[in-house]
Amino acid sequence: MKKRGIAIVLLGCMMLTFVGCKGKSEAKAAAGGTGSALFDGKLEKNVTIQVLENDTAISKGYFKELIDAFNEKYKDQGIKAVDANMDQYLDLANDGPYGYGPDVLYQANDVIMKYAEGKHILPLPVEGFDCYKQIPQTAWKAYETKKDGKTYTCGIPVNVQAPQLYYRKDLLPENWKDEWDQDSDNVPDMTQSWSRMYEFSKNRHKEDPKKYGYMKSLNDMYFSSGFLFSYGGYIFGKDNTDPTDIGFAAGDAQKGAAVLSQLASAMNEDCIDDTITTNAYSKLADGTYFATISTPDVYSTFLGELEKEYESKGDTKEEAEKKAKENLVMTTLPKLPQSGNLNDTDSKEIDSKCMGGVNGYAISSYTKAPNACLEFVKFATSYEMIKKRASLLGIAPAREDTAKEMGGVSAEIYRNLDEGNIVLMPSISEVSQIWTPGKTFFIDLAKDVFRKDEKKKYKDEAAMKDGLKDMCHQIQEAITTLQ
Amino acid sequence: MKTKWNQWNCFIHKSSWAVKLSMVIMGAGHFRYGGIAKGLIYLLMEISMIVYAVRRGISDIVGFFTLGTQTADAWSGIEGDNSIVMLIMGIFAWILVLAFLYFYVKNVKGAYAMQLRHEQGLAQIGWKKELASLFDQKFYVLVLALPVLGVCIFNILPIVFMILIAFTNYGGKIVPPHLVDWVGFANFKKLLVLSKFAPTFGRILSWNLLWAVVSTALNYFAGLGLALLLNKECVKGKAFWRAFPILAYAIPGFITLLAFKFMFSYGGPINQMIMANGGEAFGFLDLDARWSARCIGLLVNCWISVPSIMLLATGHLSNRDVSLYEAAKMDGAGRWKQFWKLTMPYMIFATTPVLLGQFIGNFNNFGIFYFLRGGLYMDGYFLASDTDLLINWLYNLSIDNNYYSIGAAISLIIFLITSTISLIVYVKSPSYREEDTFQ
Amino acid sequence: MRKKLDAFWTYGLLLLVAFIFFFPCLWLILASFSQSGSIYSFDGFFPKSYSFATFHKLFTDTRMYNYPKWFFNTLFVATGSCILGTFLTILTAYTMSRFNFKARKPMMKTTMVLGMFPSFMGMTAVYLLMTQFGLINHLWGLILIYAGGAPMGYLTQKGFFDTIPRAIDEAAKIDGATNMQIFLKINLPMSKPMIVYTALTSFTWPWSDFILPKLLLKEKDLYTVAVGLMSLDETEFARFAAGSVFIALPIVVLYFCLVKNMVDGIAAGAVKG
Repeated sequence: MKKRGIAIVLLGCMMLTFVGCKGKSEAKAAAGGTGSALFDGKLEKNVTIQVLENDTAISKGYFKELIDAFNEKYKDQGIKAVDANMDQYLDLANDGPYGYGPDVLYQANDVIMKYAEGKHILPLPVEGFDCYKQIPQTAWKAYETKKDGKTYTCGIPVNVQAPQLYYRKDLLPENWKDEWDQDSDNVPDMTQSWSRMYEFSKNRHKEDPKKYGYMKSLNDMYFSSGFLFSYGGYIFGKDNTDPTDIGFAAGDAQKGAAVLSQLASAMNEDCIDDTITTNAYSKLADGTYFATISTPDVYSTFLGELEKEYESKGDTKEEAEKKAKENLVMTTLPKLPQSGNLNDTDSKEIDSKCMGGVNGYAISSYTKAPNACLEFVKFATSYEMIKKRASLLGIAPAREDTAKEMGGVSAEIYRNLDEGNIVLMPSISEVSQIWTPGKTFFIDLAKDVFRKDEKKKYKDEAAMKDGLKDMCHQIQEAITTLQ
Repeated sequence: MKTKWNQWNCFIHKSSWAVKLSMVIMGAGHFRYGGIAKGLIYLLMEISMIVYAVRRGISDIVGFFTLGTQTADAWSGIEGDNSIVMLIMGIFAWILVLAFLYFYVKNVKGAYAMQLRHEQGLAQIGWKKELASLFDQKFYVLVLALPVLGVCIFNILPIVFMILIAFTNYGGKIVPPHLVDWVGFANFKKLLVLSKFAPTFGRILSWNLLWAVVSTALNYFAGLGLALLLNKECVKGKAFWRAFPILAYAIPGFITLLAFKFMFSYGGPINQMIMANGGEAFGFLDLDARWSARCIGLLVNCWISVPSIMLLATGHLSNRDVSLYEAAKMDGAGRWKQFWKLTMPYMIFATTPVLLGQFIGNFNNFGIFYFLRGGLYMDGYFLASDTDLLINWLYNLSIDNNYYSIGAAISLIIFLITSTISLIVYVKSPSYREEDTFQ
Repeated sequence: MRKKLDAFWTYGLLLLVAFIFFFPCLWLILASFSQSGSIYSFDGFFPKSYSFATFHKLFTDTRMYNYPKWFFNTLFVATGSCILGTFLTILTAYTMSRFNFKARKPMMKTTMVLGMFPSFMGMTAVYLLMTQFGLINHLWGLILIYAGGAPMGYLTQKGFFDTIPRAIDEAAKIDGATNMQIFLKINLPMSKPMIVYTALTSFTWPWSDFILPKLLLKEKDLYTVAVGLMSLDETEFARFAAGSVFIALPIVVLYFCLVKNMVDGIAAGAVKG
């Protein structure tokens, strides 16, 4: 009677299989031609579209305003946008094909373009957007892909992500206008020049050993690689499309490494691991650090911490808010000395380059309502919504009109993007193999500062160049060896 | 061989039309000889198998070989094939086919047996009796059916899938919607040819073995010791003392690991205390910290695993034969002697499986170094660091660097090595060979 | 005198052990009561000032991180897989220990070998299977997997059953009991400590696993605590600590409820007649 026992097994299997049959998505009857043919302008009726936004936009309340406004406007057409309520870093390529992804998603350009490779997102009729002319070509380029000889654009840029310098005005020395504003442009010199920042950091630490000037963990490739780019380094050849050419050691990149190493010498061991990355929010607020670098989207987090600090010192909520807004400054990166030596204050100064990205909206290929999604994206990238987004979240918009109106940093970031100082993250899949070797090198570089003299590995620029070459070699191996 | 052939011959000649019919229509033989209930089940099985085969079984089996012929293109609305889904549903179909074949043979054999009984004039075994035997002689069939089903679907099928992946080119750029293909032994050839591979493998394997042995021994003896300590007669409030390790046990491992990582980091409290006392910050887990990181890994793992071993040992200790100890006491055996002569053999016997389980768990302990010291590639290692275990390396290869097929090939090699070793150890162990020592 | 010295050492050792296990927990507990909410504003190991604010926030501020919901999801999954998993494991272990059938030794060897396979390598397969069965975003899909895989760890329990003498089984058999009755009436009550141990481990596992739920649960409202905590923003340390401390609560409570059964579960000696 063993049979009956296993019969249950088999029947069970079959039942599961039938469930499986039902679960499989039905063939999508789509019109021929390119994907954008799906955008026929006929709005789907009574549909709910799931929108994936980033966590900051949700927690700061911007996203609720956005969908409320959209739902109000499209109530009559029966279109409703809802929070997809999923992980902001989800992988559409993994979930979408099985029907579990969002319809519209907001992510970084390198992530979105990875989807484009497998056609998981739809090419968009971007010319029809009112933001088309407002967004610079470099930003659009980040979303372009060539398929079968045609160029498609797969996303709508919303904001530019690039490392920014954060510092506290109220931590400047009393007499900064005399001593730290040699060009008397009313902007502190150390926020304009890395050499001066280095000098200031050393001074601040000397005066009070518990305090530091500029602090940032070196181990973060995203922030550290900018120093290499400033002196001629690059990620991949041919505009970041040729993975056989890895350029972190190209040009005078070793000078960038030397600058980093000098900056690290004015910090403490915390810069070796990610301690500073995580504690910068509270340490900037309590005055231990004077400055750090981070992306614009965390501006509100820095601001919140600072407000809390002021409040705990006895300010009222309104006072604290006002004071924090006034004292916390986010600005573009300082300039670098051409010589690659921060002690050399007479050197000609060059612009800092940095790794950056453009975050934007894309529409999943697996959506049932492409036209409604397109309508949503149009609505979300309109002048009003982007403006609201920028003012609520402190992001740097990719739209020229809003960037100009916001002024200050937004305009500066916009200019940097336009001038090519922001090296956009490559859209090819090999980019995933640069992070760990890069991180290991920068940790080694940071660690070296605190090694005893006889154990130091990177004593001069030549050694750094070799180190960079090793790192490139490692990336090369990671990419090619097993292919 | 010859007898088998004879039996087969005999079967062909002697079997009645009903038995022969049951080779086409399952259950026919049972109907003929009065086994209606069983016959119905067989018939139902055949019908559902046919329905399944028509609905998707056949195409699944075909898909298993082709792995897809039509590349999907969402932009032009071409549905296309998903090679990976086809592979897994193909395996699933094979499992069903095998199960079906098993029942098919059973059905024919059963019908033949019934025919023989019929011809000899014996009464057929009623279904009630057969059902009753499920609760007695064949209790194990009833009991094991569900676990076997679960293990087949959720353990064996994924493993077969991964083994098969080692023979495809899945990974890198070739992921759905691109079509995956069978490539035979190409991945293994690649591994043999590459000079990078062997040294890293050797280094990691030797550390992995050392780690597994040391951490298993450490955890086991610490856990056992703790259980014995708490079991002492003079200890009052056992539940209270036992609560501390339990508290540690109650906090999920990954949280503990993150907490320990923070404690040992440069900005963590331990370094803060060192600095406050005038010392220099020490990189417990950083780039140069090979052995200190390894030791911290061992200790942290101990902290995490000891409570559960203690619990287990406590359970076993309460199952000891007390009379033996009383007899030993009367013979004047001291406490050490009791421990070595009575407790240890008993515990080793009862917990060899646990030891093995611990060994396997530690050998494949992914979390420890992933959380404590992940994300470093060292010189002399190919895509790994000097604390990484094989499983971490596999993760780097197959998840971080997308070499699924190569990762699968390596895991197959590792799997062959480790399973042979542990199988030998297991088969030689007293708890496998002499299962009734302590009964 | 010797006894006193012995007791002294015993308690000294116990204190040390208690400290080793308690200190990191205490650190986590106190961190969760930290007022500042940032781990870096601590004075050495412990926060400067305390408040209940984090716990209050954990349960009331559910817009981004719906901890109460996660908690009940996990409780559901843990309870489900605990009941089902324990049932299957105990049965498997018992059968493997008591019955002699053809497939037994091969089965034992197979499970042994299967356990050596790195489990995350099969995760893709599990995910694909679940998409085909339509079990993504279903909590009981998780239960199914946890419980289905649980019998793989039967070895520990089998070791336990191996130490229970068969003499009684045989006596009962002579009295005409079926194998099912022997199991239910004799062996099951005797294996209380093992059942409790199994239940506890299979209850705890879902609380700490995040790879599987992360893979199978896409909706934030369906997250288990582990996945939810991992998705917390890096500045939310106090919330993380509070969340992790609260996870431990049901397990500790469960332990105190079950501890009696576990330790003196079987009346030792009575068996050996």
